[in-house]
Amino acid sequence: MSRTDLTALSPLLVVALAAVAVLLLISVRRNHRATATLTLAGLVLGLVSISWAATVTPHQVAPLLIADGYALFYSALVLAAAVVVCLLSFDYLEQRGEQREEFYVLLLLATLGGLVLVGASHFVTLFLGLEILSVAIYVMVAYARSSPLAAETGIKYLVLAGASSAFLVFGMALVYAQTGTLEFRPLVAQLSAIEGSGLALPGMALMLVGVGFKLAVVPFHMWTPEVYQGAPAPVTAFVATVSKGAMFALLLRFFAALGPGEARPLLVVLGLVAMASILAGNLLALLEQNIKRLLAFSSIAHLGYVLVAFLASSAFGDEAVTFYLVAYFVSTLAAFGVVTVLSDNEREAERIEDYRGLFWRRPLLATLMTGALLSLAGIPLTTGFVGKFAVVAAGVEASLWLPVSVLALGSAIGLYYYLRLVVVMLSSLDAGAATESAADSGRTPADPGQTPAWPRAARVGGGAALALGLLALLLLGLGLYPGPLMDVIESSVSPLR
Amino acid sequence: MELGAYLAVSAVLFVLGMAMAAARRSLIYVLMGLELILNAANINLVAFARFKPEIGLDGQIGAIFVIILAAAEAAIGLAIVLNVYSRFGTIRPDDIDELRQ
Amino acid sequence: MFDLLALLPTFPLVGFLILMAGSNSLPRRGVVAVGVGSMGLSALLAIAITVNFLSAPPPGQVFEQHLWTWFEIGGLAPGFSLYLDPLSLAMTLVITIVGFLIHVYSAEFMRDDEAFARFFAYMNLFVSLMLMLVLADNLLLLYLGWEGVGMCSFLLIGFWYKKPANGKAAQKAFIVTRVGDTAMAVGLFLLVTQLGTFDIQELGVRATEQWPVGSTMAVVAAALLLGGAIGKSAQLPLHTWLPDAMAGPSPVSALIHAATMVTAGVYLIARTHALFALAPVVLTAVMLVGLLTQLTAGISAVHQRDIKRILAYSTISQLGYMFFALGVSSNGAAINHLMTHACFKATWFLAAGAVIVAVNHEHDIFKMGGLGKKLPALFWAMFFAGCGPFFSKDGILAEVWFSDTGGPLLWLLGLFGVFVTSIYLFRLLFTVFLGPLKNEVHWKPGRAITIPLFILAVGSVIGALVEYPRLLGYHPHSSGIEAAHASPYLHATLGKIAVGVALTGIYVAYRLFVRHRHYDGDEVIVPHIRVPLRNLFADGWGFDRAYRVAFVAPFRSAAHFLRNELIDRGCDAVVAVVQSGHRLIRRTQTGRLRWYTAGIAAGAVLSLGMVLFS
Repeated sequence: MSRTDLTALSPLLVVALAAVAVLLLISVRRNHRATATLTLAGLVLGLVSISWAATVTPHQVAPLLIADGYALFYSALVLAAAVVVCLLSFDYLEQRGEQREEFYVLLLLATLGGLVLVGASHFVTLFLGLEILSVAIYVMVAYARSSPLAAETGIKYLVLAGASSAFLVFGMALVYAQTGTLEFRPLVAQLSAIEGSGLALPGMALMLVGVGFKLAVVPFHMWTPEVYQGAPAPVTAFVATVSKGAMFALLLRFFAALGPGEARPLLVVLGLVAMASILAGNLLALLEQNIKRLLAFSSIAHLGYVLVAFLASSAFGDEAVTFYLVAYFVSTLAAFGVVTVLSDNEREAERIEDYRGLFWRRPLLATLMTGALLSLAGIPLTTGFVGKFAVVAAGVEASLWLPVSVLALGSAIGLYYYLRLVVVMLSSLDAGAATESAADSGRTPADPGQTPAWPRAARVGGGAALALGLLALLLLGLGLYPGPLMDVIESSVSPLR
Repeated sequence: MELGAYLAVSAVLFVLGMAMAAARRSLIYVLMGLELILNAANINLVAFARFKPEIGLDGQIGAIFVIILAAAEAAIGLAIVLNVYSRFGTIRPDDIDELRQ
Repeated sequence: MFDLLALLPTFPLVGFLILMAGSNSLPRRGVVAVGVGSMGLSALLAIAITVNFLSAPPPGQVFEQHLWTWFEIGGLAPGFSLYLDPLSLAMTLVITIVGFLIHVYSAEFMRDDEAFARFFAYMNLFVSLMLMLVLADNLLLLYLGWEGVGMCSFLLIGFWYKKPANGKAAQKAFIVTRVGDTAMAVGLFLLVTQLGTFDIQELGVRATEQWPVGSTMAVVAAALLLGGAIGKSAQLPLHTWLPDAMAGPSPVSALIHAATMVTAGVYLIARTHALFALAPVVLTAVMLVGLLTQLTAGISAVHQRDIKRILAYSTISQLGYMFFALGVSSNGAAINHLMTHACFKATWFLAAGAVIVAVNHEHDIFKMGGLGKKLPALFWAMFFAGCGPFFSKDGILAEVWFSDTGGPLLWLLGLFGVFVTSIYLFRLLFTVFLGPLKNEVHWKPGRAITIPLFILAVGSVIGALVEYPRLLGYHPHSSGIEAAHASPYLHATLGKIAVGVALTGIYVAYRLFVRHRHYDGDEVIVPHIRVPLRNLFADGWGFDRAYRVAFVAPFRSAAHFLRNELIDRGCDAVVAVVQSGHRLIRRTQTGRLRWYTAGIAAGAVLSLGMVLFS
């Protein structure tokens, strides 16, 4: 390995080393704060090292990994999301008595998996990255062992993820049979050289199963509500963002390399998947009473929206996909961030009733949540609006009338449930008190002198406050002034096509 | 043996694995089903690499990776199944449905 | 100095954010410091910018500040840019200075209100959005401000939301202006798609290049914008919301429903004058709307008893004058009247608010009397402020006489409006402040109320002596002014006649309401007028009733009729389809692991099948 190779891989190496360091630290001395700090330092260092790696781009490391502007941009996105999740997790775990330190090892490993995925230029690295990410997430979703739901969440995610990645490997083998290579670029060249795709196309169709599962799009979406609900809130935030974003980055890279002729049948499948996801996601979210499940369904729809821009198969579409993913990351992390800080060690703040009158109890958190929801709904002046505008523009430019109109329809349905939540947060406390106490009658009542409102006011810790403040800034900042980010995205997706 | 024979075995294994994952009434068998699918893929990879020598060793190496990762997955999977058993007292997938509204 | 322009809307915006964040924790003193202080900073900055603008004018008397490009997608690149020229400077001065004085007044007036912080938060937000509206250099930002001030108006009319009538008034204002706003949104969309730019100045240039005078496109676009202006500025036939909007606190009436927001329509037409110049028909419509509104609202004002409703109709009528001036392309005169009127009407509304509180929330002027001895400060402030607009109106009338599109007949009709104006204004003043004392006064306004009143009154009086817009360098081309300068003798004579008519009106009011105090409201000012007609006037020409009959009632009965009919079925069907879709698809979320595995397998089969057979 040359010096340049090491430089190009520095974000990966830093995160991998951080995982080892945290492991060693735990074996020496258990200290939650020190572990979290070390993890945070590792992630931040990883972010910093991206600028270092950028000095040698584009650089191919063996046939396995590539460090170009595109990979580095998504690496930054993955690492930034991991930083936020790390900050949120600290306060969340601090309240809980179980072994907390190992969580950070898993977080670092999962992040590492994401980084491998976005830099993959070979089927083996694809599978490796995917499995590093998945295996770490298996444990993360089942981490709260005292929680009754942890084991069930874990086994469901494990079996389904295992099955889908088995499909992926089998598909890979078929593609390999036809093309004789597992490396992206020669493989694509082979595909366009041979007449009639033979086994390659069915192989790629099976691979879509593995991809679709990670993206949680219809019909591979059914795990989403349960895993979102059962996993600890910060883990849900991670699953909702990092694992989907990294997978989408890979999908985009592969399809951008693929010629339009070879991609056409697969794009038809993905077009149907996109429309089905938009409709099913929004319909499922419509009357949902559990916030985490609601966000799960809405995330299904959101990945459908991103797919619409993806279908455009143009440089502009790539930009729209990337910007939308950034917007989705910011909004989703903000929403789950609020859920995280409102949760206490008894249960998670996931019922709609928990949010009734939140504006009057926790105005700042409620405002942030409103901002996140409006951004997810695509209301102007939020980052989500700019993203959705870009997606629609990309779809219109590529004359994808049917998907774009489905997108519009889905957004209209979406508006209903996002605004419903906003209205609940705005409504007065008194109105909700009656129903709330009725709903809470099964639980031990809180201090009778206080309002029965749940969750009980907990202080937001410094780390979480920092993360939420940052997200609030991005939520509005990228909505008002997306220009610089657009420029960065434009230059980073340019090597794709 | 012909390449076709290997592919046939692989396809049969794949379908069996899928059926096991979807239909067996024990989580252990479900995990075994997943292993079968992965191994079906492995057979493919190795067979192609063997019968089309001009295409190099990518497939063989790929298979090794798959074996390693399948082992990791199985290890975690069994640990979680143990957890499930201690929590639910059963490892029948149908009985594990508290996460539903 | 001009680079600080962006701070103008920023100060109140920051004030709004602080007040919202600290609405529960800030002490009252802190609320005043933030709410009034942010406005003070804005007002100071506006004055400093004005001084700079006059002493060292930017090239072409235009300063553009490009803050940033919002986004650049598919050839569309709307920006956040501010545009300062004499016109927007004039508006900015009105908004910041009058706004600041009204905030100072509110600090005392609203002192005992439980939602003190919320009030100032909304007011600050309003000012910020209003500044954005007038400083916007593109339609998008202008529209943001336009809708934003509408929202603030809604929130503030219904500020005392616990009283249902106030909520209804807020809804009425929102819905009626929405009629205009929809027209305007369509108009903006038309302009952008036809001319391909958001930039207002560029829009004017391109329209002039592409559309000949009187072309259909120009007429349609201008007419749609006029629709928006009519709704916002409460002109015939969308004026019905303004009298009801008086449900809000008096400072809100003064700031939003007299001095600033309702003038947005006037500003819009003056700003897009290049477009209206291409559509002479629409310009004539502007003039007619103004003239009719001015006359009908003036006559209604004479027949009102509620002090705030008198002022509301008066505001509608004065806005009518501004439209009248715009319609004959005398934009300078219109803006001059706008500025003077802002000072005058703010004074009157604020004073009226104080009077209402002083006489224990009595609104009927005929149940008041002789308050001049108890509240002399209010009386004199109102008296002096009341003089200003007569002179700015004379300017309008003179231009109407001389303008190409005006003429002596229109001048005469306008003159009648002057007569009516002096009657209803001095009817109010004389009835409330002169004569025998009828009320107990158990509250006296403090200095935070009287000082802003006097400053505003002085502003109105100065407006009578000098032309504010001309001072700021705003003197757009007008055929009326040139012709007037050509015949100075006639010009002077017309002015004298107008003053004479105004004084006659005051004398008539004096005769009727001071000398012969047999009118106690149920009587009319012209004794021979028939009772039904009188009621019609007092009712605001029956517009509300007509709308109830023409729109609301048919709509209601149609809604009632259609409740089980086709259309409603259709709406229900949409809901039903969506909900049953939800229920149907929810069944797939069984929570069964095996079902989900099967789902994935089925998905794989589908994907495979589609690829193989496509």
